[in-house]
Amino acid sequence: MVRAYRPPDFQSALTIMRENRAIPLAGGTDLMVSRRRWSGLSPFFAKPVLFIGHLEEIKRVEIDITNIKIGSACSLASLLEHREIPEVLKIVISQMATPAIRNIGTLGGNICNASPAGDALPVLYAMDASVVLQRKAEIRTLPIEKFITGPGETVLKDDELLTSIIIPKKSYNVGFYRKVGTRQANSLSKLSFQGLARIEEGKISDIRISFGAVAMTVIRSREIEEILIEKSGKEIEKLIPEVSSLYSAVIKPIDDQRSNIRYRKTISLKLLRYFLRTVLISKIG
Amino acid sequence: MKGKIGKSIKKIDVAEKTGGYARYIADMRFESMLHAKTLRSSKPRAKIKGIDIPEIPQGYYIVDRNDVPGKNRVKMIVNDQPFFAEDVVNYIGEPILLVVGPDKEKIIKILSEIKVYYEAVKPVFTIEEAEKLNTTPIYGEDNCFADYEIEKGDPDEAFGRAAKIVENEYRTGYQEHIYLEPQGMIGIYESNRVTVYGSMQCPYFVKNALIQGLGWGGDRIRVVQTTTGGAFGGKEEYPSLIAGHVAFAAVKAGKPVRLIFNRKEDIQATTKRHPSIIRLKTALDDHKKIIATDVDIKMDGGAYSGLSNVVLQRAMFAATGVYNIPNVRVRGRAFATNNVPSGALRGFGGPQAFFAIEMNMHALADHVSEDPLDFKIKHMLKKGDHTVTGGVLRQDVKLDEMTDMVLGMSDYRKKYDEFSKNDDQVLRGIGLSLFYHGCAFTGSGEKDIIKAEVKLKKREDGKVLILIANVDMGQGAQTTLRKIVARTLCIPVDDVIYENPDTDVVPDSGPTVASRTVMIVGFLLDKAAQELKAEWEKAPEVEVHKVYEQPGYIRWDQETFEGDAYPVYSWGTNVVEVEVDPVTCEIKVKGIWGVYDVGTAIDERIIQGQIEGGISQGLGYATIEVMNSKDGKILQDSITDYIIPCSMYFPGIESKLIDSYYEYGPYGAKCAGELPFIGAAPALASAVQNALNVQIKRIPVTPEYLMETAEGEN
Ligand SMILES: Cc1cc2nc3c(=O)[nH]c(=O)nc-3n(C[C@H](O)[C@H](O)[C@H](O)COP(=O)(O)OP(=O)(O)OC[C@H]3O[C@@H](n4cnc5c(N)ncnc54)[C@H](O)[C@@H]3O)c2cc1C
Repeated sequence: MVRAYRPPDFQSALTIMRENRAIPLAGGTDLMVSRRRWSGLSPFFAKPVLFIGHLEEIKRVEIDITNIKIGSACSLASLLEHREIPEVLKIVISQMATPAIRNIGTLGGNICNASPAGDALPVLYAMDASVVLQRKAEIRTLPIEKFITGPGETVLKDDELLTSIIIPKKSYNVGFYRKVGTRQANSLSKLSFQGLARIEEGKISDIRISFGAVAMTVIRSREIEEILIEKSGKEIEKLIPEVSSLYSAVIKPIDDQRSNIRYRKTISLKLLRYFLRTVLISKIG
Repeated sequence: MKGKIGKSIKKIDVAEKTGGYARYIADMRFESMLHAKTLRSSKPRAKIKGIDIPEIPQGYYIVDRNDVPGKNRVKMIVNDQPFFAEDVVNYIGEPILLVVGPDKEKIIKILSEIKVYYEAVKPVFTIEEAEKLNTTPIYGEDNCFADYEIEKGDPDEAFGRAAKIVENEYRTGYQEHIYLEPQGMIGIYESNRVTVYGSMQCPYFVKNALIQGLGWGGDRIRVVQTTTGGAFGGKEEYPSLIAGHVAFAAVKAGKPVRLIFNRKEDIQATTKRHPSIIRLKTALDDHKKIIATDVDIKMDGGAYSGLSNVVLQRAMFAATGVYNIPNVRVRGRAFATNNVPSGALRGFGGPQAFFAIEMNMHALADHVSEDPLDFKIKHMLKKGDHTVTGGVLRQDVKLDEMTDMVLGMSDYRKKYDEFSKNDDQVLRGIGLSLFYHGCAFTGSGEKDIIKAEVKLKKREDGKVLILIANVDMGQGAQTTLRKIVARTLCIPVDDVIYENPDTDVVPDSGPTVASRTVMIVGFLLDKAAQELKAEWEKAPEVEVHKVYEQPGYIRWDQETFEGDAYPVYSWGTNVVEVEVDPVTCEIKVKGIWGVYDVGTAIDERIIQGQIEGGISQGLGYATIEVMNSKDGKILQDSITDYIIPCSMYFPGIESKLIDSYYEYGPYGAKCAGELPFIGAAPALASAVQNALNVQIKRIPVTPEYLMETAEGEN
């Protein structure tokens, strides 16, 4: 038997977390799959389960002048429909799972699950997203790359909930995302690539590049991005080999049942070059 | 019923399946039914030194080799596979024992407390290792379940005078059935009899396996097929194994026992399509014509022989494809390895052979700088030509007409020229395949082995019962066979009753395999219906009984493999158009066309279903269905990791049938179930080859493989 709580509101949820160190369940699309057992038996949970997917306080999207704040329990589908959600995030979400799973799976779940193949992560890293974590006595905010520490690992405390994701408002005029899975629809990533940039007066004023599913966590390097700042198309062309080899040193994929090291690494770098050369430079003109 | 028989009617099983009230094995409940779970080998090859079993609570049972009252061997062509492992295990997932009882939690707990002591034996994982014989053989002296050779003409002489000799090697991978409904059985022991209900294709295979395993007379054994949610060959031989399990458990416990697999278990432990390595050595003369070929086919049969030798035979008989090659030698071997046993899957050896021969034809054309399609056309078989086994093609061979049609539908010629120019922006390609499927059992197997019997019974109320052992597994047998009987009797289809077979009620009309059901069983039913029609008025209840008779023209020697390997052939041609992403090497299918000769279509929509399903499954096999085994363990053991095509993966399929009639099929029908699968992979691979200008030598054609091939050639 599994003990489960369905709190009436968010404060009660925090109380239950403090008292029971429960396992939060938002959409359950990761949890119910990983904990499933012989059909007819309830899934395995060593600790009580806390349903949070219905809590209005963490299902809202709030916008102010500088930030977009997304409640952790917002379903992926609801974000696709929301007018204020950045297009670059919608492009990513629209390629996750299936309509049915997106109706119930949440953005918070994808982040807390911390899978190297979690598709929402590269774009969130690129957009400098941070996460708001709350427990009974404390609220803290962390950049997403400080929150996720390894495959399936986060710094979440055992009485803490992720309440929202904060994305700074920025305008990019170049966005490029590629998810490479075995099948176009409903398959997990072998690798993914996210590039975002702002071009002003023929030069790059802002650029963010991230890679998914090719290392323990999402790869994003501000140092390498820095090299490209204020560069013109011609200069970028010259920098491509150097930038490629810098990323090559940090892309460390694995061989597994979905793909292999060589493919993941080669294609990641090819997508990088494609982004720099074909997408960026052609845009700069 | 007027007009063409092919005019589609509503498929009989659609309402209950879409409505959700079809009862599958997992929906069946019996009083005080127990659950069973299998303890499986965790080692690919080992001696079992001992098994520690914890204290078993009252009402729970361990069922193992000691509970097999008869022979602990699953009845198959060769009886080498035990129901429960004895002193050795030969693959990961091999059943050792069952834990049976009322509560699943307790069963899992007992299972976790059982300890098996293994002593590892050096395993064999690949065809190469099996051939090298670098450890004690798993089977026989040479690790071969079968080693055959066939010869046509004088290949040595022809190779001796060849202007050119070209060699190529092709590889094909595993394929998993992914029937929607996993394997499952329920066994009941009552009044000294055993009844087994389950998802299956061949009720009498199961019954015969139980006769051997229980060591009882057939009158004490009853097998009932339950509505089967897909099978594709996966429920041809495998159900015999688990039917034994539930029967032995039911006898021991004295209660109904149910054994139903979950998906992971199903993928890990049940049969798959044989991986193969096929080497073709071809001799050409000065006129760029093939004068001889030497084909070496090797298959990974897995740990037990199963159906490997027949699968191998089908591949061998297809070794020259649809081409007339005068001098041929084919060697075929199915090797024993410590992988999960390979088995039947739609196409049954044909897909492996046709991939190799079609790609080889393409490679040969490239080699002699000829257009691949023209090169194929000039070698195409015609009526009256001889097959590899020296059989005569007595029926019309309409390949040229079919090729013209598919070329027109797809605009192949124009596209081929355009795509061959190869600009690097969009990589587009188009490919064509030509193929056949030999209908029904090999040679005179229908007469010598199967000996099908059917019955038709008119009831007092005027309704007619079809009494046969063949099953509807989604392919439409319930609909097509009813249509045949109804039309011959001139009665409405609704007046024909065809229940899921129960061996207490139906005679053995043979297994539902080898695309034989409509052609062989349907023809017998047609004859039975004619007889019933003549006797209709004689009594309120009339039963007629018909036994298979082989058409007079068939000549076959099963010892030498000489003569008509199949009673007749169905033919097909496919064109596939693709786009390959220049950055990621991902393949997108842009167009699919097919033309088929299946004789008369008994129901056009059902044939269309077979075509679309077959092509999709074939393209999955060709592209995304990657299954690898590492140290004997299947790596892709969920549908998250073993990806099959979904409806968004392909554009629409445009297909046509050509007019054709087979005298010994009902209303002229031949076979159609497996055929459409076969041409998809070679057409796709040729298209990719056209797009990238590289030689494709294996399926699945993954982006990983394409990237490595492209890098290798640069
Ligand atoms: C068929 C299928 C296809 C899928 N396809 C994709 C895909 O293409 N790409 C992809 O990235 N993922 C995919 N997934 C995985 C999954 O759907 C997503 O990761 C989804 O976003 C998870 O959200 P959830 O709300 O269902 O998470 P849950 O299962 O509820 O939770 C996941 C984890 O996060 C924790 N958690 C959830 N919310 C909180 C919170 N607010 N605070 C603290 N901890 C929390 C849970 O305790 C659990 O550990 C797929 C899953 C399925 C079943």
